[in-house]
Amino acid sequence: MKIAIIGASGFIGNRLVERIQLAGLDQPVPIVRRASSMALPARFDLECRLADALDVDALARALSGCDAVVHAALGDPRQIEAMPAALTAAVAQAGIKRVVYLSSASVHGQAPDRGTDESTPLHTNHALEYNNAKVRAERAFLAGCASRGLEGFALRPGVVYGPRSRWIADLAEQFEDRTAWLLGDGDGICNCIYVDNLLIAAQLALEAPASAAGVYLVNDPGTHTWADFLHRAADELGVDPTTIHRLDRLPTFKIHWAQKARRAAEGAWMQRVLPLVPGRVKYVTKTFLDASRATPPPSSWKLPATPAPAPTQEMALLQQCRWRLPDARAVSELGYAPAFSFEEGMQRSFAWWKFLQQTAA
Amino acid sequence: MPVILVGCGAVSRQFYRPALSVLQHAGLFRVRALVDPSAESRATLAAAFPDAEQWDSLASRPGLDGALVVVASPPRFHAEQTIMALQAGAHVLCEKPIANQVDEAEAMVAAATAADRLLAVGLYKRFFPASQYLRQLVSSGQLGSLISFTISEGGPFRWPAASPSFFDRRPGGGGGVLLDIGVHVLDLVGWWFGEAKTIDYADDARGGVEANAFVSMTFPQGATGRIHLSRDWPTNQAYRFHFEGGDVEWTVNDANGLTVRLRNTPAKLKATLCTTNDAPTDPRHPVPQATNAQSFLAQLQNVHAAIAGREPLLVPGNDSVRVLRWIDQCYAHRQTVSEPWTELETTGGRRSRSPRRTAPLSA
Repeated sequence: MKIAIIGASGFIGNRLVERIQLAGLDQPVPIVRRASSMALPARFDLECRLADALDVDALARALSGCDAVVHAALGDPRQIEAMPAALTAAVAQAGIKRVVYLSSASVHGQAPDRGTDESTPLHTNHALEYNNAKVRAERAFLAGCASRGLEGFALRPGVVYGPRSRWIADLAEQFEDRTAWLLGDGDGICNCIYVDNLLIAAQLALEAPASAAGVYLVNDPGTHTWADFLHRAADELGVDPTTIHRLDRLPTFKIHWAQKARRAAEGAWMQRVLPLVPGRVKYVTKTFLDASRATPPPSSWKLPATPAPAPTQEMALLQQCRWRLPDARAVSELGYAPAFSFEEGMQRSFAWWKFLQQTAA
Repeated sequence: MPVILVGCGAVSRQFYRPALSVLQHAGLFRVRALVDPSAESRATLAAAFPDAEQWDSLASRPGLDGALVVVASPPRFHAEQTIMALQAGAHVLCEKPIANQVDEAEAMVAAATAADRLLAVGLYKRFFPASQYLRQLVSSGQLGSLISFTISEGGPFRWPAASPSFFDRRPGGGGGVLLDIGVHVLDLVGWWFGEAKTIDYADDARGGVEANAFVSMTFPQGATGRIHLSRDWPTNQAYRFHFEGGDVEWTVNDANGLTVRLRNTPAKLKATLCTTNDAPTDPRHPVPQATNAQSFLAQLQNVHAAIAGREPLLVPGNDSVRVLRWIDQCYAHRQTVSEPWTELETTGGRRSRSPRRTAPLSA
C-alpha cells in the first residue's frame, strides 16, 4: 500500500516515514511544502513529492497513485483551519478514500473537564487561539469527509513526545537552565503519548473497517502526572529533581491590547479589507503598535540573574488538568494497543537528546 | 574585468548579486553575462545587472579569454562548465563544492594548469578574520599545541533549494550535509591543521543522503577532533579548540568574533577582532575587521588581484581536491550511526547500548 504522508518533515510525519519504511511492508510517500523541507525524508531512497498543503490541485497531484493519506502538517492557527478543506478536496480529487487526520486533544482545551470523551461537544471559547483553531479544523475535516464520501479518521493525541519533539528539547533545556517548574505538587494529569504509540493508532486507522471512521482520543498506557513527566525526564538526564521549581501560584496571562489588535488584523474579514487601506496608514499603525509593546530597558541595579521559571499560558493550563482522557474507543474500535510504555517512551526520547549532546560536547 | 556569472540560483541571488553589484560600482568588475537555462532565473538577476547579456548556456560563447567566469550552478555541472571556461581562456571562481567527485576536481585543476589560467574555489570562510586569526594561533604556537577540537554546525535545513534534485545521491553514494556544509568545515580544518592521520565517519543516511554526519579525526601531532554536521536539529553552532595554553571558541559565521580563555585566568574574553595599524587610534572607537559579507567581497577582490598578479590565490583549486578526497574516504568507509530510538520493536524499557560509531579509516 502506498501511504502519502503530508507534513513529512515535521517530527511526527518524519517518524511515520521512518516507521513505514523500516517495517518494509508498505511504501511511504513523503509530501513536503518545499524542497528545503526534504532533509529528513531524503535520508531514505524514496520519491519525495512537493505540494503546499493549502493548494488543492498541487496536493491532489502529489497524492496521485497513493492508496491512503495521513495528514501531519503543522501551521499557524489560520493555516491549521484552512488545511482540512484543502486536504479533503485533494484526497477526493485524487480518488483516495481513506484519510487519517492528526487532530489534537486540545480540541477539549488544555485542561478538559472530568468525564470528557469523544462524545463531549466541542466549543471555540478556549483561552488559546490554537485550541479554537484545532476545533474548527477538525470540524472542517469531518464535514469535508462527509460531503465527499471519504473514510475520515481524526486522532486526538495530547502531549506528543519523542525524538525531535519540542516537549523533550524544551524540557531538557529548562533542566539545563534550572528553570523547570511544576504547579504545586505536579499532580495535574499529563495526557501524553509517545510518538510511536500515536503512529500505531494512525496505522491501525489506515487498516480499520470504513464503519470505524470517526474521532479517537489516544494516550500512553496508564495515568501520568506532570510530576511523573518531569521526574522521569530528570532521571533520564541525570539531574537532581529537587532543582524543579514548585510554583504555588501562576502569573496572570493578560493579552496586551496591541496583541489583540494584531490578532484581529489577521482575521479573514480584516485580510479582505486591509488591501484597501493606504500603505502609509498601515505603516504608521504598525509602528505605533510595535512601540506600544516596547518594554522599558531593565534597571542595571540588580543582583546577577538567578534562574527563574517562565511559565507559558499553555503549560499553566496543561498542569491544571485533572482528567485522563480515555482511549477506550480507540481500543475497542481500532484495536489500539500502545506498544511503548511511558517509561520506555521517555527513555527513547532522552536517548535521542543525550546523543545530540554527546556529539556536541 | 568582465565577469560571466554561470548559474542564477539561490547562491547567486543571495551572495553574488549584492557582491558583484558593489564591486561593479567600485569599478573592479563588470558583469558581462548571466548564464542559466532558465530565463526566469536569469531575470531575477538581470534587474541588478541590466547591461548584462543573458545566455542559456556557456557553450560556444566567444570572448571569454581573460574574463572571470563564476561557476555557481549545481555541483554536478561544475566540472564541465569550469573546464569549458578554462579552455576558452577564462579564469574561474567555482562555487563549493568544486565538484562531486575527486577525479572531476583533478581534471579541473589539470585544465587550469594546461590553460595557464587561475582556478579559485568559493570557500569564502577562509577570508573571515576569525579564521585567519585561528590559523595564525595554530601556526605560531602562541597558545601552545592544539590538544583537541569539537565542531558542531548546522540546523534545520533552510537553504532555498530550487528542486528536489538538491537531495539526489551523488554517483557512488553520499551527497548530504557532509558534501554541503562539510566542505566548508573540512576546508577550514585542513587549512588550519594540515593533513589528518585518521578519519572515522558515520551518518544517518538509510539509502538516501545524510542529514547528520559525524567525523572524528586525528592529526600527526596528536591532536584529535570531532565534528557533527546537521540539517536536522539546531546544533550549538560552535567551534571549540583546546590548546595547551587556553581555549578558543568561535561561533559559526561570526566573521570577526572570537571568545578566548587563557589558561589560569578567571574569565573568558569575548572579542571583536579589530584592525591594527601603526597610527595611534582612539581606543573608544576601534575599527572592526571584515564582516561576513565583507569577507565574501574580499574573496572576489583576492581573485581579481591574483588574476592581475598582485596576490596569490587564497583558495586555489588544489586545496579543494584534498577536501573532496577526505569526503570520498568518509563516504567509502561510512558507518550507519546507531539510532536506537528508531527501532520499531519495543525493548520493554531496557536501555539500549550507547550509540557508537567505530571503524577507523586510513586517511
